[in-house]
Amino acid sequence: MSIAPVEEEVTSAGTGEALDVPWITLVWNDPVNLMSYVTYVFQSYFGYSREKAESLMLDVHHKGRAVVASGPREKMEIDTEALQGFGLWATFQKDR
Amino acid sequence: MARAFARRGRGEDLRYAAQLDSAERGVVAELLRQVRELIAPGGEAAPSASTGDDFDAIVAGLGSDFGSITVPDSPEGLTGRGLPQEPRDPALDRLFPSANRSDPDAAAEFRRLTESSLRQRKIAGLTQSIELLRAVRGDILELTPAQAQTFMIALTDVRLVIGDRLGLREDADATRLDEVAASLDAGDPTAYAIAVYDFLTWLQETLATSMLT
Repeated sequence: MSIAPVEEEVTSAGTGEALDVPWITLVWNDPVNLMSYVTYVFQSYFGYSREKAESLMLDVHHKGRAVVASGPREKMEIDTEALQGFGLWATFQKDR
Repeated sequence: MARAFARRGRGEDLRYAAQLDSAERGVVAELLRQVRELIAPGGEAAPSASTGDDFDAIVAGLGSDFGSITVPDSPEGLTGRGLPQEPRDPALDRLFPSANRSDPDAAAEFRRLTESSLRQRKIAGLTQSIELLRAVRGDILELTPAQAQTFMIALTDVRLVIGDRLGLREDADATRLDEVAASLDAGDPTAYAIAVYDFLTWLQETLATSMLT
């Protein structure tokens, strides 16, 4: 992600929701999307809190990707399409 | 001279407003139009009065010298070129990326099911954003929250395309842009593209920051 004037203090495990569901949506780091914008997308699309959205955003930024949602395949495909609509580099896959 | 987006009002009267002069609005609108043309070649995009040769070049690939360059390790190296012709514009692969990295069949199926509607939504958002810019009077672009989101996504689409043209693949590439720009003549199309990219980045950053709650 692009550098934005944001303090990078927060860390977290940042792996989505329950671990017993078989599909996940991932967002991958890219050099264009802004940290502020990615946070905004996570808040506005998923309804995540500012804290959770920033934590996920920082995982994307520092670890190269983050699991942003998990659940049934159909829902992960919907999430992926929506996030791609926002311009994020989103993918879905079976959780391993 | 542009001034950053800021919140105005509250509740139903909440707006996001920025000051953009006519030249700045023209730059943004023309780039929105070019990206729309990339997504829907020959579609809704009507021919428009171009504001200059530099513009025509940016989304089209900045001329043959530019389409496939990557930002080099050193500014002196900015002469790379010559990847073979791609069957599909690589910027489209960034706008509509493969949605499954481990299962090509699932990725292809997803693309078949979603790309058409994703394209339509992007075309609609780009068109609406162009109209918002054209409707500005008094140099103030004032957006409702819904319009602001549409505009911010459209700015993202433009930055993704220019970023692809500039060869941005990793975060470090983006941080080197200023260095690259400093090494180029002012009239160089790449320097111009970098300046425009920086402007759009700034504009989007101020909008995103003011929309965070």
